[in-house]
Amino acid sequence: MSYLLPHLTTGWAVDQAILSEEARVVCIRFGHDYDPVCMQMDEVLYSIAELVKNYCVVYLVDTTEVPDFNTMYELYDPCTVMFFYRNKARPARPLLTAAPPAAAQHIMIDLGTGNNNKINWAIHDKQEVIDIIETVYRGARKGRGLVVSPKDYSTKYRY
Amino acid sequence: MSSLGARGAKAYNGSAPSNYVAGLGRGATGFTTRSDIGPARATGEETNLSESNFDKFSGYSESLAQGLPYDDDDEVADTVWSEVDAKMDERRRTRREDKLKQSLDKFRAVRPKLQHQFGDLKRELQLVSREEWETLPEPGEHRKSRAAERRNERYMPTPDTLLEKARLEQEVHNSLDTRQMINGGMETVVGGSATPFPGSAGSATPLPGGATPLTDLKAIGAARNSVLSVKLDQMSDSVSGQTVVDPKGYLTDLNSVKVSTEAEIGDIKKARLLLKSVTQTNPGHGPGWIAAARLEEVAGKLVAARQIIREGCRACAANEDVWLEAARLQTPENAKVVLADAIKKIPTSVKIWLQAASLESNLGMRRRVLRKALEVVPNSVKLWQAAIDLEPPEDARVMLGRAVECVPHAVDMWLALARLESYQNARKVLNKARETIPTEPQIWITAARLEEANGNLEIVDKIIEKASKSLALHSVHLEREQWLSEAEACEKGAAPRTAQAIVREAIGLGVEEEDRKRMWMEDADSLVARGCPECARAIYAVALTTFPTKKSVWVRAAQHEKAHGTRESLDALLRRAVSYCPQAQVLWLMGAKEKWQSGDVEGARAILNEAFRANPDSEQVWLAAQKLESENSQPERARKLLARARERAGTERVWMKSVTLERDLGELESALALLGPALKAHPRFWKLHLLKAQLESRAGQHAAARETLARAVKVCPDCEPVWLAAARLEEAHGAVSKARSLLEVARLKRTGARLGAPQLWLEAVRLERRAGNRKAAMTLMAKALQQCKSAGLLWAEAIAMEQRAQQKTKSSDALKACDNDAHVILAVSRLFWRDRKEEKARSWCNRAVTLDPDLGDAWGNYYAFELQHGTPEQQEEVLRRCVAADPHHGDEWTRVAKDDQSSLGWSAEQLLQKVAENMALGRWTGEALDKMAASSSGAS
Repeated sequence: MSYLLPHLTTGWAVDQAILSEEARVVCIRFGHDYDPVCMQMDEVLYSIAELVKNYCVVYLVDTTEVPDFNTMYELYDPCTVMFFYRNKARPARPLLTAAPPAAAQHIMIDLGTGNNNKINWAIHDKQEVIDIIETVYRGARKGRGLVVSPKDYSTKYRY
Repeated sequence: MSSLGARGAKAYNGSAPSNYVAGLGRGATGFTTRSDIGPARATGEETNLSESNFDKFSGYSESLAQGLPYDDDDEVADTVWSEVDAKMDERRRTRREDKLKQSLDKFRAVRPKLQHQFGDLKRELQLVSREEWETLPEPGEHRKSRAAERRNERYMPTPDTLLEKARLEQEVHNSLDTRQMINGGMETVVGGSATPFPGSAGSATPLPGGATPLTDLKAIGAARNSVLSVKLDQMSDSVSGQTVVDPKGYLTDLNSVKVSTEAEIGDIKKARLLLKSVTQTNPGHGPGWIAAARLEEVAGKLVAARQIIREGCRACAANEDVWLEAARLQTPENAKVVLADAIKKIPTSVKIWLQAASLESNLGMRRRVLRKALEVVPNSVKLWQAAIDLEPPEDARVMLGRAVECVPHAVDMWLALARLESYQNARKVLNKARETIPTEPQIWITAARLEEANGNLEIVDKIIEKASKSLALHSVHLEREQWLSEAEACEKGAAPRTAQAIVREAIGLGVEEEDRKRMWMEDADSLVARGCPECARAIYAVALTTFPTKKSVWVRAAQHEKAHGTRESLDALLRRAVSYCPQAQVLWLMGAKEKWQSGDVEGARAILNEAFRANPDSEQVWLAAQKLESENSQPERARKLLARARERAGTERVWMKSVTLERDLGELESALALLGPALKAHPRFWKLHLLKAQLESRAGQHAAARETLARAVKVCPDCEPVWLAAARLEEAHGAVSKARSLLEVARLKRTGARLGAPQLWLEAVRLERRAGNRKAAMTLMAKALQQCKSAGLLWAEAIAMEQRAQQKTKSSDALKACDNDAHVILAVSRLFWRDRKEEKARSWCNRAVTLDPDLGDAWGNYYAFELQHGTPEQQEEVLRRCVAADPHHGDEWTRVAKDDQSSLGWSAEQLLQKVAENMALGRWTGEALDKMAASSSGAS
């Protein structure tokens, strides 16, 4: 269902998409439309995009077409989903004290996998994705750089 | 979708500013998730600037400016360069191309292309019509060469399973086999192999398929067997009558063919090498040769083994072991030859001579060999023994005479000679032997036994005495145990006198003064246990001379005499005993009893008289005398004796015996008269009170009896029988409530008793049952069982009281509470008896009597059971065992034995019969109580 989701074709477009979104979480899937893992993830993302449109926007980025972030975000997995919110340098409300703005960063999620930066597998459950996005949104609105996923995806629970 | 695109996401189609670096523009920094891997890198980012990549002329093979962005200047430069290249290429182009074409043509002329070669033929193909194409034959079918055909044709051996399957598919069954008939169907057919193949093969009509060869593996195997047997038969029964092969031995031969494994062979080779070096470096070493030969033998090369051992014999001719090995490896015939050689080399070898003798199958030859050996080696004991063993007794004596001269130190020879000689000569021989070997005790003992066998009993002791002295002189000190074992052997060998003499000599050896008595008694016991009563007697004799005043020794000696000696010897011993320790009443009584049992009443009386003189105040002796008189129906004498006894030693038992004597004689008046002073002398002796009450009630003076018992209860409140008697008396006169209260008081008094008071409880329960109060009895029983949890008596009663259906559970409870109680076992055995489980009942009856052989009831029960179900032999057996056990206790037993007037003086046998009669199924009081009560209450 990747063709039903908006694609970002240049690094510039990616940056603009992140920067220009004022009130919503930006969820970007890095990968290839033809990749099987991406296909599964895109299917889910498409089906929830309409449901979460009030607080989240979903984009797809082809890592071959836009290789600019491959090094920066370690994009060597078939499918990677990352979340951004207002470039995170500005908190939701202006701080009372004039603290120096933090380095622009993505929103990190503690998924229990050891990698808090991104989701690098395909989640098949729509509700789980919605929950994660919602958690990210709530945390990001409060200025959190790291939120805790409602479900633990640690591999220890698979055994 | 369009809505999603419009509302959800914006299109960012605007071009980026030049030199825009994505991510950096918004300040993103990236991250390193795993430091060990590091961040992912763009491919080709790194340039190789190492020495290996550098060329002097053209510099680095890659562009140094590769990492920089490609801008317009670069593009211009690149076009200029490419134009230069094009120009240079254009300059000599035609000439170069011509040259290339020429060289190619040259090459083609030498080696033309394949398609050019057949070009003319191919051109003709266009004339071939379609039909002609169709009729072209296939290429594979036209090979002519046989060799190629053979090469390409492959035959695989058809597997047996396939053949068998094919056969089975084609097979036709005309009949069902047994299994099919039994199972009634075809589903259990296993391959149809039960049908023999030859039948179907022999059928006249060939099978429809015909192409499949019919194979039966079983048939093939059978055929092979029959071929083998035919061959064997041919070999065994050849026409000439001579067999080529021993058909039986053939197979065993096959078994004995040695199959060496790889590893063994390797080992053998190594060992062979080693042993070869041993024999070469030290040829005089016999064991090396033997080992080498044995190795060859193990490897199965007998010829080589013989060869080696022959060399060995040559190399070390003085070694007898090598010769023996050589003989062993040869066949018996050749072995003789080898041994003959050996004897020539070492004539003094006893082993070789013995081996040579054993090789001779003929007795005479063997004898000759041994005699020859003795000529050469006269001083070998072994040779002499071997030689003498072969001789008949007469020759053996002669040989022995010679042997003792040649080998004077062989004790066995001397003893054997003495055994073969006549008495006089034997004495001489033994004397000579003693002189030659003064240190051998066996010679002395043999001499003593010889004398004893010839009736010179006095000399025996002397000989043994002399033996110990002379052995001591020659400093031969035998242990006490050795002497005793010699004595034992002597007694076993029918020489008791010698045994006794030895014991007398040896018993004192090496025993401490204070240990003597204990050690001797132990020795005597162990000797008796080993079946040597004579030796034990000798020990006792020595002990009695050493300790004449020890009562225990006398008693033991007397018991030993009683068990193993004659009546006279016992009598004599007891006489001596009482003369040494006259104070020992046991000895007197033993003596008197012996006399009495042998029927000599007068003698018994005399002994007891003497006993009186020695022990004037002994109660035991008085009572024994009284018993003797009364049992021999001399009541007057008994009475007088007791009267004197009362004066001299007025103990409780004497008074009681006096009263019972009167009672048994039927003199109630005089008995009662005696009881007055008796109770004055011993007011606390409860048996006297009971006696008085019994006599009074027998005389009809019930009030007096009641009074007596009331007094008795006061005087000895701890005595249960008194309480029981009082309660029974009350009950007998219908005063049940009074009896009940008496028993209650008794229980109160006895609450401190260790085991409770099961007798009192039982009596109370029985009282209720007799009175017909079944419920009260049950509650009482429950209380009683709480009080005395492990009282088998109560449990047995509880089982008997229970309803028939519940008796089994009750009995299992009882067995849990007190597992090994004869009363409970007895009750359970009666349950089995009632259910007619004979074997079980018998085993439980038996258990009861073995648990408590003193319980008369158990015996009665057993006997009653056997009377109903057993054979006469079994009844006899029970009777015999009961008499041997001589029981005294048990409710029924004591009732029969004491309460009944008529049973006075009955033997155990009579008592048992009476008890058994009372205890027959359904008649025993304990079980019948309820019925009686029920019937009486029903009647009322």
